[in-house]
Amino acid sequence: MSILQTKKLTIKFGGLTAVNEVDFSLESGHIVGIIGPNGAGKTTFINLIAGLHTPTSGSVFLDGEDITAMKPHKRARIGIGRTFQLIHPLENLSLVENVMNGFLFAQDFSVPKARKAAVLLCEELGLSRLERPTSQMNILEIKKMELAKALAVNPKILFLDEMMAGLNSDESLEMISLVQKVTRSKNLAVGVVEHVMGVIKQLTHSVVVLDGGEVIAQGKYEDVVKNERVQSAYLGGGA
Amino acid sequence: MKKTLNRTFLIIGVLLLAAPLFMGPYAQSVARSVLMYLMLAISWNMLVSSGQLSFGIAGFFGLGGYASTLAIVYLGMPPILSLVFAFILVGAAAWLLGLVALRLRGMYFAISTLALAEIFRVIIHNWHGFTGGPNGKLLPKLIFDGASVPTYLLMAVLAAGTIAFSMWFRRSKFHFAVTSIRDNEIAAMSTGINIYKTLLMVFAVTSAVQGLVGASFANMYGFVTPESSFNMNYTLLPLAMTLLGGLYTTWGPVLGAVLLGIVGEYLKLYIPYGHLIVYGIIIVLVILFMPNGIVGLSGKLLNGFEARKKGEVQL
Repeated sequence: MSILQTKKLTIKFGGLTAVNEVDFSLESGHIVGIIGPNGAGKTTFINLIAGLHTPTSGSVFLDGEDITAMKPHKRARIGIGRTFQLIHPLENLSLVENVMNGFLFAQDFSVPKARKAAVLLCEELGLSRLERPTSQMNILEIKKMELAKALAVNPKILFLDEMMAGLNSDESLEMISLVQKVTRSKNLAVGVVEHVMGVIKQLTHSVVVLDGGEVIAQGKYEDVVKNERVQSAYLGGGA
Repeated sequence: MKKTLNRTFLIIGVLLLAAPLFMGPYAQSVARSVLMYLMLAISWNMLVSSGQLSFGIAGFFGLGGYASTLAIVYLGMPPILSLVFAFILVGAAAWLLGLVALRLRGMYFAISTLALAEIFRVIIHNWHGFTGGPNGKLLPKLIFDGASVPTYLLMAVLAAGTIAFSMWFRRSKFHFAVTSIRDNEIAAMSTGINIYKTLLMVFAVTSAVQGLVGASFANMYGFVTPESSFNMNYTLLPLAMTLLGGLYTTWGPVLGAVLLGIVGEYLKLYIPYGHLIVYGIIIVLVILFMPNGIVGLSGKLLNGFEARKKGEVQL
């Protein structure tokens, strides 16, 4: 039983159809890779689910409830967590305060309770020196903090937009095992946008390939990469 | 830490309340005006913590003055009650205006608040029958019949209340909400923050405080006119004070108001209106060399000091 579903989800920006009639679903405990060449509509698709864009047509369901018209902050409160392709640390808050936000606003904790919960979550993800300003953190720590911020809303579904970008291979491996760990322990439904195919291969249970805003293939990674349309999308048209 | 803080407040509180014993009427009137600007600066600083720049302080200040004066003149309301009335009325007005204005951001919001203040002034200026038009309105009598000490104490209590409110604000959820909104709205909403509602509440409450100060001012001096009640100084001075003292803190505006208030008063005696030039110079210097104001600078020095004590090196 899928927890998140989109039905014919479409958004047009003027004459450009960025996402075109996408049917998509996520299941708890599963990690789905969302891949495709640049401009395929991956981030736009996540923004549609997070509520940052209003779709031109189609709908989004969470747990069977239609949330197409719901505001972004409410979606965070009902369990949609996400990270951003362009990292958004809140630079006037410390590390732990960044993580507290989700507990404070999505879960409605009091300030002291949120601080305790945020400290626990940071320790779970291997973050230390929690009172630091974000300007003193390295890229791996920032990425972990972004993950912690998304987990702090107590999500049922989690979208990770290019989590591995900027990490070296060791750091990527650490993030991969961290994402797998939290997916299992919190029984999350996870959508991962990623450019590095090795990461997708290791991390995901299945993949969806977008090109020009449309789903051109889906299934197991091994099968999808053999698909002709996928190959031509990545290697150039007319192949 | 908490203990020293509490002790500091106790001392400041006692000094504030005992001050009239040592001060003549002139010093008391300077202190009253410092307290007034202090409240305007603190309230402005709370909204600016969310990244929204309001140039409407004079507008809400004037509106509060008129609300209180007209309630006394037409309804025979007791002065103290008229202050409460002004607080509520201005808060409600700001809420309604905020419903529209807070859909704007940055420069557009700032300009719309400036325009709102001007619209209040123009309406009041032209509504002769009700507001007295350009001549304004006289109050039948001053608050506490013009007695200096109780008037001073009233302002001290209101200022202490505003400081306490700001301190609570900076420890509460609002601190996290407004700081996140200032840093990045998209990141803020993705953690469940209702940006529009948060900004509306902060805008309404801080404007209400500005209205309350305007009402107190009217009751201290016994009159309102469009030119004096909506004077641009009430917008610009709190801004300069906050910048000098330090943005985004409670004590920054307090410090700024005390320093500039006293310096301004002194300068007024020697070069009338010259104090405005000095304010201008201070704003420029602070923005260039001390963007976090005095509190930010002292915080930096303290941090460096503590780090050196602990043997840590700050990068």
